[in-house]
Amino acid sequence: MRSANAETTAAVKKDLRIRPVSFGKRLWMQRQLMLMSVPMLLYIFLFNYFPLWGWITAFMNYNPAKPLFENEWVGMKNFVWLFSKPEFIGAIRNTFAMAAINLVFGFVFPILMALFLNEIRTMHFKRTVQTITYLPHFLSWVIVVGIAQTIFSSDGAVNKLLLSLGLVKAPVFFLGEGKYFWWLVGVINLWKECGWNTIIYLASMSAIDPALYEAADMDGAGRFKKMLHITLPGIKSTFLVLLVMNIGYLMEAGFEIQYLMGQNVVMDWSQTIDIFALKYGITKGQYSRAIAAGIFKSVVSIVLMLSANFTAKRLGEDTLL
Amino acid sequence: MRKLVSLFMALVMLATVIAIPAMADSAQDPITVSVFIGDPRDQPASDNKIFKKIEEEFGLKFEFEFLAGDLDETLGVKIAGQDYADLMDGGNSAEKLISAGALIDLMPYISEEKTPNIYNYIQPYLKRLLNDKGQLFIIPNYGRYYNTEEYGMNYVNGPAFFLQKKVLAWAGYPVIKTMDEYFDIIEKYVAANPTNDKGQANEGFAILCDSWRAFCLFNPVQHLMGRPNDGDVIVDIDNNYKTEAYVIQDYAKPYYKKLNELYHKGLISQDTFVMNYDQYIAKLSSGTVVGMFDQTWDFQTATDALTAAEMFDSTYQGLPIVYTEAEAGKPITEHYLNGTVINVNRGFGISVNCQYPERLVQFMEKMLSDDWQKIVWWGIEGEDYSVENGRMVRTYDQIQDAANAVWKNANSAYVLTNSMPKKQGKMDDGNSWDPAVQPENYYLQMNDYDKDFLAHYNMKRPLDFFNKPITLAPYGEAWQIDVTVDQAANDAKAAFQDTERKMLPQVIMCDASEFDATWQKFVDSVNAIPISDFVDFMQQQILDLVAKNS
Amino acid sequence: MTDTSLRVRHKNHKKLPIFPLVNGTVMILIVFITLYPVLNTVAISFNDGTDAVRGGIGLWPRQFSLKSYETIFSDEIIFNAFFITIARTVIQTVINVVLTSMLAYALSRREYVLRKFITTAFVLTMYINAGLIPNYLLIQRTLGLSKSFWVYIIPTMLSCFNMIVTRTFILGLPDALVESARIDGAGDFHLFWKIIFPLCTPVLATVALFVAVGAWNSWFDTHLYNASKVNLHTLQYLLKMKLATTTNSANAAMTSADAAASTTNTTPVTIRAAITVVSAAPIVAIYPFLQRYFVVGLNVGSVKG
Repeated sequence: MRSANAETTAAVKKDLRIRPVSFGKRLWMQRQLMLMSVPMLLYIFLFNYFPLWGWITAFMNYNPAKPLFENEWVGMKNFVWLFSKPEFIGAIRNTFAMAAINLVFGFVFPILMALFLNEIRTMHFKRTVQTITYLPHFLSWVIVVGIAQTIFSSDGAVNKLLLSLGLVKAPVFFLGEGKYFWWLVGVINLWKECGWNTIIYLASMSAIDPALYEAADMDGAGRFKKMLHITLPGIKSTFLVLLVMNIGYLMEAGFEIQYLMGQNVVMDWSQTIDIFALKYGITKGQYSRAIAAGIFKSVVSIVLMLSANFTAKRLGEDTLL
Repeated sequence: MRKLVSLFMALVMLATVIAIPAMADSAQDPITVSVFIGDPRDQPASDNKIFKKIEEEFGLKFEFEFLAGDLDETLGVKIAGQDYADLMDGGNSAEKLISAGALIDLMPYISEEKTPNIYNYIQPYLKRLLNDKGQLFIIPNYGRYYNTEEYGMNYVNGPAFFLQKKVLAWAGYPVIKTMDEYFDIIEKYVAANPTNDKGQANEGFAILCDSWRAFCLFNPVQHLMGRPNDGDVIVDIDNNYKTEAYVIQDYAKPYYKKLNELYHKGLISQDTFVMNYDQYIAKLSSGTVVGMFDQTWDFQTATDALTAAEMFDSTYQGLPIVYTEAEAGKPITEHYLNGTVINVNRGFGISVNCQYPERLVQFMEKMLSDDWQKIVWWGIEGEDYSVENGRMVRTYDQIQDAANAVWKNANSAYVLTNSMPKKQGKMDDGNSWDPAVQPENYYLQMNDYDKDFLAHYNMKRPLDFFNKPITLAPYGEAWQIDVTVDQAANDAKAAFQDTERKMLPQVIMCDASEFDATWQKFVDSVNAIPISDFVDFMQQQILDLVAKNS
Repeated sequence: MTDTSLRVRHKNHKKLPIFPLVNGTVMILIVFITLYPVLNTVAISFNDGTDAVRGGIGLWPRQFSLKSYETIFSDEIIFNAFFITIARTVIQTVINVVLTSMLAYALSRREYVLRKFITTAFVLTMYINAGLIPNYLLIQRTLGLSKSFWVYIIPTMLSCFNMIVTRTFILGLPDALVESARIDGAGDFHLFWKIIFPLCTPVLATVALFVAVGAWNSWFDTHLYNASKVNLHTLQYLLKMKLATTTNSANAAMTSADAAASTTNTTPVTIRAAITVVSAAPIVAIYPFLQRYFVVGLNVGSVKG
């Protein structure tokens, strides 16, 4: 355990005060902890790892109607095919770009929102704001995208605003030009999920020891000083863990929003890996390709997550693993 | 570890292989039949009167599974798990079930003696329906017309170039036949009427490009060439069924050139390429869109909205537009309507898991009797329709009821009968099987504006604008050909669809001076796919079908 | 916390309240931006269907109609579906909260020898997906869970994401809490249940919310495993089907010519809106209830002292 936290190290040492102790003995001492965790390990082995036998179909020309091993083995053909398609490479780029935008927006704004919500002293107002801002999470993408397409159309609210402010001379073709697409997805995602994502930070803020604020008040610290030196450090570990986890999700940019909003003209910017896999895989009966794309995504995700975790640890932070 | 893994896999596979091949058929004890329908439907009410009648007469209860998700995905898992209902309607992907061996051959249960109704039903199309081994897996659910050569409708449900009726009225009810005439009248109308009577700006021509509905963008070309809807290809029946992707041919260019001109004249808006289906319907419903290419069912909700708002003059008339009539070279005759033909792709199959196939075939046989067909189409006499002087009629309220989803759940077995073989056309006494086609009923619903509009053309039905339906070529309709069986053709088709949906809007929106270059770029991109993978496959399939059916 | 806020308010009383004013204004602006589409959806749900397809409805219905709601509630099975959905949501939430917190506690113990292995095994599940078919075969064939209520519960007992969030929260609690109890000879079950679990209220309220919302909104398991069992249909599945039916009947008048008579006053536009309201309203309502757990939380100081 490469932990810079001296207190923790001390705690660990204290716990292992009966030394030397054999591994078996330690297991026995920790039987309650094992009882609390090993059954669940078996559970995920069954539900998450066992079905992974399906991954071998990526190396086949899989037809679900046939018994597994009667399918034709094709080696790396499905992977080669994927990477020979410029559309797939484009889909990787689009997925990454949109996921990165979502990642940044999805951290910066909810944290800001949580910080400032935390400063509201009128409880009713605070709760009302919280409740309302989380409502969009419950609207389906069809509805959200429908509204967005109206707002961003040539005669929609955004263009009307831009025109009346004199910022543009002609309506901006938001929905028809690829360069806007990623940002639109980012903004719409932000609108839909910002309130929802705030919840987790508000929860972790409520664990901050009030004594710290009291002490700061005595020292005459101002509002922003307290935010910076108490609140933010207080949610740091939650933030870091979520960050590392979400860096692993850089291969996930969502599916429905691009599927619904990505009109054909902007296809080169809107098509994600999942849409590509659906189009050239599942709906065409080419299951192996979809699985191959899935394996690729998993591998990249895990590599990304592990590197992020490693980096965080090198910086001396407690993190995901 | 390796061994362990393979042991697990073997176990899983063993589980997958076990199927239930039992075929025993018992007496007429009450049984529950499981049914899968590859379409979303509401569960019928538990006291549904038709299902009650079916249960009384046949001792059959039904347990339905309808489709809430994606059809291909759902069939994929069902095939992997061999988890089939007794009756399977695989929707438009029924081919998947057949090739997976999920369905049994029905021919052993069908014969002139045992099942006269079904035999008579499929007999004229046997060649088309049976495969090379003489097997039949699916009994088609519609398209078999009795006692009529007529196309079974009063209006055009399929493709056409549409124009607001008020535009034709404004121009003095002219007959519009060619592309130039069509766009000309749009241009003149919009010039004379920049806004509608509510002051909203008129839009000359709309092109719906939302996902699969983008057929509005490229299908027009084949119709302009005087061919019926064959999907992505045009088939030259006079030239040995030569098949080609029409949208990249030289003859497609004038259409897109025209659209490019319209775009720069402001008659097509850029938003048309990015609007979603709801926005399209909203536009049509507001009465500002002068014309578009589409299929009637695709914008039915807009027609309903316009009718409800009593904007009858803004509803649309379909027109059979072609490039040009009888000029130099080969004259083009419009071919928008196809003659009646059985639908080969859809209907019930009986799965290998079913324990009483004989009984289910007999059930479908009896349901195909005239008495039951009357119930299927019209309902119960005295409740859902009445007979006057030998003619079956419905009141206005009964017509409204029949279209009401809530009413249907309690009073119709359509969720089941939709997938079963049905009689269409005319009964022996001259009534129509389909109530909607019964002329009395059709005129009962038609509003005065439409009657007057048609009177100006000396016509009785919107359909009269079109040529008589033309008997299908022996290959049928090319869009029905299943491409998923060939991987290369399949990939080429997917890439082709992406390319045309993506690039044709660019062709229409580009500077007039760059039109030729943009067009050439589009053609080159399609050829680079290579599109020949798809076209060659289609050519072969079409030739095979012709050889089989003629 | 409450103490602190009182104090802060008191202190700022003398100054001009610029910050609260600006903050409040920004919040109201955000509320407006988020609320508008929500209210718009509600308005559309109460509008006449055929009229609504013309678009342009703001915050109030143009032609008031309850038709969409009538259509939704005309299905007799919807009430049973409500019951099934509530049952699965409650059971799934309770199981998840208990198991998640228990596991999170075990994996927060730095001395636990299997800690690293188990944590890694769990974290990796977030990034791997075997695909639909193997999962389906496992549940349908190997475990035989299809066509039963248990298919809603058994495969969904744990979420790694929630476990990690809870574990992080527990790690943030002072070690002294556990240490002092341990010296008194308390076992891990006791430690967990008596000390850690109550302290975790804020994070477990969050977890409960996440799980409940997920359970409430899920429809795919019904679609895959219980589609043929009407009495096991969940609300979201039913509503999804209702929407698909409306959309589909608007599309495919291919088989019959009765489209000409299809003025049924419900359209996908209004049905979609009404479905959103019916499906979201009950679950949205639980948030204000859970909110108090975010603030009440803990007063670690006293335990520490």
